[in-house]
Amino acid sequence: MNRFILSNERGFMLINVVFLTLITSFAAMILMNAAPRARNPQSTLRLTALCLANEQFAELESLAAHGDISGSQPFLGDNDDLTSNNLDARNPIEFKVTTTVSGNRAVVKVRWQVGDEEFEIETERTIGIVQE
Amino acid sequence: MFRNNGGGFVVAEFAIALPLLILLMYSLATVSVKIFSLGKGQLADYVLEAEAQYVMERITNIARTAREVEVLSGGKVKFVYHVVKDKNFSESTTLNGYRVFINNDVLETQYFMLYTKSGRSAPNLYAKRQNDGRYNNPMTGDNYFGDTKVNYLKCDVDEAKKILHVSLEMESLVTERKIKLNTAVYMPSYKAGG
Repeated sequence: MNRFILSNERGFMLINVVFLTLITSFAAMILMNAAPRARNPQSTLRLTALCLANEQFAELESLAAHGDISGSQPFLGDNDDLTSNNLDARNPIEFKVTTTVSGNRAVVKVRWQVGDEEFEIETERTIGIVQE
Repeated sequence: MFRNNGGGFVVAEFAIALPLLILLMYSLATVSVKIFSLGKGQLADYVLEAEAQYVMERITNIARTAREVEVLSGGKVKFVYHVVKDKNFSESTTLNGYRVFINNDVLETQYFMLYTKSGRSAPNLYAKRQNDGRYNNPMTGDNYFGDTKVNYLKCDVDEAKKILHVSLEMESLVTERKIKLNTAVYMPSYKAGG
């Protein structure tokens, strides 16, 4: 008799296997779905940096209407714009803008640092003098 | 009540598995709520960023050819900009029933204005041709994936340098995250005083 003691419980054991598999796969689905959703704010900072580069280009264009701009230039725009709270209000990001102009081709590089990681965008444009 | 099967398997099964099941489902539900609210916040942040970028691009695009910029009270900015660059001709002809400009100096007016619609708690940005006090078709806000508000839009004109400095701060009403963008545009055809 003892040998057949579980023979009546086969249905329960099958249901156990099916349900436990379903539950663990649901858990795995939900947790694996969460993995790529970690917050990555780099696109916001890239957009901010691009706006900053455009500000520098505008200042270069304005300067070119009056005189020579060749060589390396400091950041000519509003210095308050170099600090951004777009990542987090408690963690302000400092942007560094370097500009080199050769001929009438201007290269503006914007660098910033999040934690230990360095990021950079490089933009390039021809600066022409607009005749009235 | 139970047929004696010799081991009490059914009782043992439910005594152990049911509390375990309840605990497992509870923790799964908590995790899913966290994950879905994270996704909701990220969608709202995405909408915020996209709208800020759109507003900045529209303003810099129009300011590039602006002849007059007027900063009015109440968060309004008025641009008068060139559609076609100024030449000596000043007439348009009709071709196949359409109006055609030939090197004509065509000016267009564009207002950007902040306005809080009734029933809303925060202002949206509107782009309009006339300053007639009617507000429809906002540029920002009322997005299904996350509503936003515009905290301020600051335009400063440096008349000597012919530079327009634009500062825009927007805030998501879902996550209360803020995005602030600063840029500048050189306006080659700007004339001080219009």
